[in-house]
Amino acid sequence: MKESRLMLIQYATAVVAVALVSVHLIMQGVIYPYSTAISFSNILSIYRNGFYAIFLEALLVVVLVHGFNGLRIILHEIRQTKPWTMWVDIGTVVAIVATVAYGTRTVILAVFGGVAG
Amino acid sequence: MSEVKLVVQRFDPFTDAKPRLAEYSVPKREGMTVLDALLYARDYIDHSIAVRFSCRQASCGSCGMKINGRPRLACYTQVDELKSEKVLTQPMDNFAIVKDLVTDLDSFFAKHRQMMPYVIRSDVQEVENPTREYLMKPDELERVLQFTYCIKCGLCTSSCPTVAMDTKFPGPQALAQAYRYTMDERDEGGEKRLEMLDDAHGVWRCHFAGSCSFVCPKGVDPALGIQLLRRHVLSGKAPRNAGEGAKLVSPAAPEQKPPS
Repeated sequence: MKESRLMLIQYATAVVAVALVSVHLIMQGVIYPYSTAISFSNILSIYRNGFYAIFLEALLVVVLVHGFNGLRIILHEIRQTKPWTMWVDIGTVVAIVATVAYGTRTVILAVFGGVAG
Repeated sequence: MSEVKLVVQRFDPFTDAKPRLAEYSVPKREGMTVLDALLYARDYIDHSIAVRFSCRQASCGSCGMKINGRPRLACYTQVDELKSEKVLTQPMDNFAIVKDLVTDLDSFFAKHRQMMPYVIRSDVQEVENPTREYLMKPDELERVLQFTYCIKCGLCTSSCPTVAMDTKFPGPQALAQAYRYTMDERDEGGEKRLEMLDDAHGVWRCHFAGSCSFVCPKGVDPALGIQLLRRHVLSGKAPRNAGEGAKLVSPAAPEQKPPS
């Protein structure tokens, strides 16, 4: 993919992440008191709300894509050899896919009852 | 007569293991530039000081160096304006040292050339045997004018944090020139430049620190040029190819009639 497209994704995910994280913090810190927000039963009930599960999945994808793409940029600046550039790109894709898959697994298990409430 | 303490970083890569600082007392006079002080030290105190200079009027860009920690032109910096008892002169960062204050600008000019810093035209016949004049409107000139003031002194590249890390990054000077020619209404090579810059080590690696614009002695704003260039890299279209170009070739000048 062209660098301009990757940077467009970087900027778009940054804007979306700010919006999603803001909503997330409001939910966790304002709507629910923080002490109850992180209780296991509360978290499970949040996951089992379909809308909020989709919201969390979106937050997961957006933050991970933005974070790992940012890390890729930093790593590209450290060294400039072709093999390094190639392995950093491959590593970034693998890291994004693996972490999104693991996070999605948590969301799915919580939503569909794989985790006991 | 008052004196200025001139501290020069001395280093010869062939004989020295590491740089050292040498101090010289130079008699100060009104309007004295750092280059004047350096040349006094070289002519009357230590002939071995290496310093590059030419025009002495901020036109050639030869005497770029770090003065009291900031990249400046030695001929364009008066000793008095530094308001300091000592004047520390060091070679520019991000360049290999040839000797003392002289740096190797080969990579700098190679990156400049890489940007194809000239007007590219498809009408080769017309370029080689011109019959008409390529015109620019004042507002078209205004768009690129400040970037034409670049004297290629290397101060912007010396101050750039990305150049310090990424050896493939073209640097602010080269990118500003890429913008200058891409935005030139007479140019037809913009898309080539934009494609070349859309790379992992290209225009996107600028972090917009803005130090390039801060240190430019000619008032050029390379950071602005880079940000504007990004817009065109995203679209992949140079202005002229996007259909915004003005009429490029003027009509042939009418033959003058002899007075009747």
